[in-house]
Amino acid sequence: MAYGLPLLATLMEPSAPVERAADAELVARLQQGEEVAFRTLVTRFQGRVYSTAYSLLRSAEEAEDVAQEVFVEVYQTIVRFRGEAALSTWLYRLAVSRALQHQRRLHARKRFALFTSLLGFAGQLLHEPPDHAHPQALLEGTQQLHLLQQHISRLPAQQQVAFTLRHEQELSYEEIAAVLSTSVAAVESLLYRARHTLRQHLQPTSRHA
Amino acid sequence: MPNPDLYSGSEEEWQALLGQLRRQSQTQPQPFFYTRVQARLDAQHATPRAWLPSWLRRPAYVALLGILVLAVSGDGAALQTAHPVTHSSTLPR
Repeated sequence: MAYGLPLLATLMEPSAPVERAADAELVARLQQGEEVAFRTLVTRFQGRVYSTAYSLLRSAEEAEDVAQEVFVEVYQTIVRFRGEAALSTWLYRLAVSRALQHQRRLHARKRFALFTSLLGFAGQLLHEPPDHAHPQALLEGTQQLHLLQQHISRLPAQQQVAFTLRHEQELSYEEIAAVLSTSVAAVESLLYRARHTLRQHLQPTSRHA
Repeated sequence: MPNPDLYSGSEEEWQALLGQLRRQSQTQPQPFFYTRVQARLDAQHATPRAWLPSWLRRPAYVALLGILVLAVSGDGAALQTAHPVTHSSTLPR
């Protein structure tokens, strides 16, 4: 499996210039205000933008909101797009930054709700609701996955983004570096630290005798 | 390099967990996503752009701004110089 990904990347490489040319053409049509081009762009990238946002927010509602915001921003700012980065990189960058903004807003709202509830201002829920998962969902695998997701959300933002783009969106190190505007070495370091933290926190699955 | 402090599950278990995570996150938006994006764009076009920033259109901010302008403009100093005059007028002749 270790040699599978570089091999796959090599096999996929020849299609990259073709894709880039198609993107350039799409951007040119968008910049001319072609409605059909915008529809094509949304259809082609909606899945990637939505699932990136979903991976960072773990909420279908929030992910939908972020994805809509991203495409609205694309529509409004496509004139300024110079093509220095690939179209997909730009879209991932927008999705990540919007999702992180939402995440910060959600955390602030949660902190404020906790603060007001502690002071007794609001009759709202005082804390994060306990997770009454169905016993079926507490099966080992699902439990581990749930735990992993919880710890991913607690990682520092850069590590969380790098881990999500690598393991959920299956982007290459180069692509992640482009999205984060950093070097491949920095991405490697972010991923190493993220994996280290996550594996430290995950409990081994209990084995029955 | 194995590290005893880390997840003691095997590499296969870790990879299986990552695979599960990947499958779980391959979600798609609800149908008619483009229509909703279009509606959002139309709504933004329909809203006229205000000539003042939103924070300045709130009375509390306008009042605060007025107080600040008065405080900085030096009216306080003028009031202080006027004070002795009113005080002296109360003195007995």
